[in-house]
Amino acid sequence: MFLGRVAGTVWSTVKWPEAKGLKLLLVRPYRLGDLPPGVATAGAGGGAASEPTDDLVVCADTLDAGPGDDVIVAFGHAARVAVSEKLPPGSKPMVPIDAAVVAVVDRVEIAR
Amino acid sequence: MIRGTVIGQVWAARKARGLEGQTLLLVAARDADGHATGRLVVASDTLDARAGEDVTVAFGSGARNVLRPGPDNRDLLCDAAIAAIVEGAG
Repeated sequence: MFLGRVAGTVWSTVKWPEAKGLKLLLVRPYRLGDLPPGVATAGAGGGAASEPTDDLVVCADTLDAGPGDDVIVAFGHAARVAVSEKLPPGSKPMVPIDAAVVAVVDRVEIAR
Repeated sequence: MIRGTVIGQVWAARKARGLEGQTLLLVAARDADGHATGRLVVASDTLDARAGEDVTVAFGSGARNVLRPGPDNRDLLCDAAIAAIVEGAG
């Protein structure tokens, strides 16, 4: 998983049917140099840190995160497990995604 | 797996159900020489690792095996977990 800030949204109309209805966000991961020492409050306005600087990652979102939110993103099977929580019970995580927002961050505590 | 140093903790009330009860630590990756690479990883912790401690982080099914070893753990929401607290590296 990684900590990142939502930078925008992606729309698409032509996509794999299993991905229909999934909201896609652009998330920029924080790197070590982006974080200040000490406790930081995350989220829009407050800001966990200075702006993140890494390359953007496209993530599925089922938690209604928006631009400026700090989020945790999971990769691989864990991302599909997170998305499948919103599907009917018993559904297998077959959605064609490999990254998903799994938490909207309230607080980051940095000790260094 | 990677080696890194725990630098903090992340809290979130709004999260996927599968993350409930997991302690999420922020780990700064280190290279072979022990220098920070700049990459940050959020990892589930079951070993009570503390800030400043060197750890190894396992990814993918290896991470799920830290939380619950065995073949029936594909329901777990975990893609990175602290697998060991490192005492030394040469």
